[in-house]
Amino acid sequence: MAGLVRLGYSLAKKSILSTTTRVISTTNQLNIKEIRERTEGTNLVIEGVTLPSPRTELLVRPPNVTPPLPNIDLSLTKLPSSEKPPCYMCALGLDVKHTDVLILSQFVRSDGCMLPKRITGLCKRQQKKIGKMVSMAQKAGLMINLTPSNSKKDPTKRKDYKKFNTYFDETTIFKKREMRWTERFKFRANAK
Amino acid sequence: MSAAKRVQQWATFARSWHIFDCKWQDPYESAHVIKKYLMGMHKPIYHPMNDCGDVVVCINSREIALRGDEWRKRAYFHHTGYPGGASWTLAWELHNKDPTMIIKKAVYRAMTGNLQRRHTMQRLFIYPGENVPEDVLQNVTNQIRQIRYVPKRLDHIPEEEVKNYPKVMEYPEDFVVK
Ligand SMILES: [Zn+2]
Repeated sequence: MAGLVRLGYSLAKKSILSTTTRVISTTNQLNIKEIRERTEGTNLVIEGVTLPSPRTELLVRPPNVTPPLPNIDLSLTKLPSSEKPPCYMCALGLDVKHTDVLILSQFVRSDGCMLPKRITGLCKRQQKKIGKMVSMAQKAGLMINLTPSNSKKDPTKRKDYKKFNTYFDETTIFKKREMRWTERFKFRANAK
Repeated sequence: MSAAKRVQQWATFARSWHIFDCKWQDPYESAHVIKKYLMGMHKPIYHPMNDCGDVVVCINSREIALRGDEWRKRAYFHHTGYPGGASWTLAWELHNKDPTMIIKKAVYRAMTGNLQRRHTMQRLFIYPGENVPEDVLQNVTNQIRQIRYVPKRLDHIPEEEVKNYPKVMEYPEDFVVK
């Protein structure tokens, strides 16, 4: 009886999984799209509209870099990190500051939050650096048009210390936390 | 004496007036620049006993920028002299009360503590905004260069420039725009 139940369960599981994982297509079935909602009379219409990527003709891409999507070329991901070509931000070698909002605004959603690594296609270090600089720019109120709809659009109307101008130092992004003097004392006691 | 030399001599011996725009400037960095003009250290005849300092007018002191979390971490200490009279005021609280105080204290602390410091501070004018009295403004002959670059907000950059700026990041092909 138990065997029958297990057999039936596995069959059901296989039938569900096979429908979700089997994707057969010869052309690019997915495209950049936008989900639009509109009401026609009493009906709510939700449609995915295929869009061209904006400003593609202005794209700057150095030669010989890791492709942004790792699943395109699997041979590159298996290489050791020393032989792998750099990601596009490392290859460009730009000295990006948190005030360069024209570059940072390309890495955020319309609500101002940083895009994940699988979409930006950056390496781990650059993703962390850009993500930190995006939050620096947001805290300094430099990307005020890319914020959630409920946020205050004027940085001077914020609460308490947030309403005053703040600048940031990019060298603090990868800096290790300094030891407090109590911790240093502990460390010395352990060494002896 | 050539004309250039004559101007140089005039600038050295006269008490000239300088203006400094504090917008997006770190007060503790700019204090070391302002101090030099106030004490006359930019002049070849400088000597501590020589009264050759200039006048500095600071404008837009309400729009100074502090680094990182300094607005809520930096505290200003005051003691009334009575027991239990100590008080610590955070930088943002002080700036709420008096927007000229932080830059004033920064310049004061940047100078060495002697009796001359009080008289040198008398030559420093600080205004929270751009409204400077006309009789002060008409003396000004020089502008001190700002130390930090004043950042531009994304919504203040013209749309044409945003549209034509080179693109670095390209969305993957199956990206759903949000
Ligand atoms: Zn990289």
